[in-house]
Amino acid sequence: MSNGSRSGKQDRRKQLASLSFSEKVKILEKLRERSKKIAASRSKLARAVDKPG
Amino acid sequence: MKSTLETINQMQTDGIIGKYAIGGAVGATFYLEPAATLDVDIFVTLPAASRSKLMSLAPVYDYLKGRGFKAEKEHVVIGEWPVQFLPPSNDLEREALEEALETEIEGVKTWVMRAEHLVAIALNTARSKDHARILQFLEQRVVNADKLNQILVRHGLVSKWKRFQGRYLNKDVNE
Repeated sequence: MSNGSRSGKQDRRKQLASLSFSEKVKILEKLRERSKKIAASRSKLARAVDKPG
Repeated sequence: MKSTLETINQMQTDGIIGKYAIGGAVGATFYLEPAATLDVDIFVTLPAASRSKLMSLAPVYDYLKGRGFKAEKEHVVIGEWPVQFLPPSNDLEREALEEALETEIEGVKTWVMRAEHLVAIALNTARSKDHARILQFLEQRVVNADKLNQILVRHGLVSKWKRFQGRYLNKDVNE
């Protein structure tokens, strides 16, 4: 990773950390929804692999 | 989260729980950038009657079930969030709960553990994700080193901290 992109990432993290707690909790909720969707599609895929056709 | 906290505050008003504080990943989010988590850890003191029954959470679950909330393993789903109620299991967690900061989420009053307590609890719990979180706290410079040191001394965590420093921060454990 270049120094530029690393410092860009750090800046972004600082920017996120400086948001209000309410704003950060909203992001948490979106992350949680995304994690749930990924988990659901994984289990759907696993079922399809177990029962092909 | 708003409705989750409103329900928990109502439990407090109704005397089902005493003081409470958000810990874990959601608590850490007060100080750090948000990181994915599936649940909320709520540390709670229980009223005296419940404490006498070996810190039983039964009144908490009964209250919530009676209001239509569903238990899922160790969680109760309140609003959109699975909530784990955790009575403090040691003096460190008791202190963290007592000294929690009052704040608001979407206009709802709540309490969050202090950064130094979250770090000390993570150090004590010592899973990989706890160590990763401690490093985030240090990188973001949101921990008061003196306050953290006092907590580590008070709760017998100094040697654990030195091992952590040796492993992750390239510090000599004898420093």
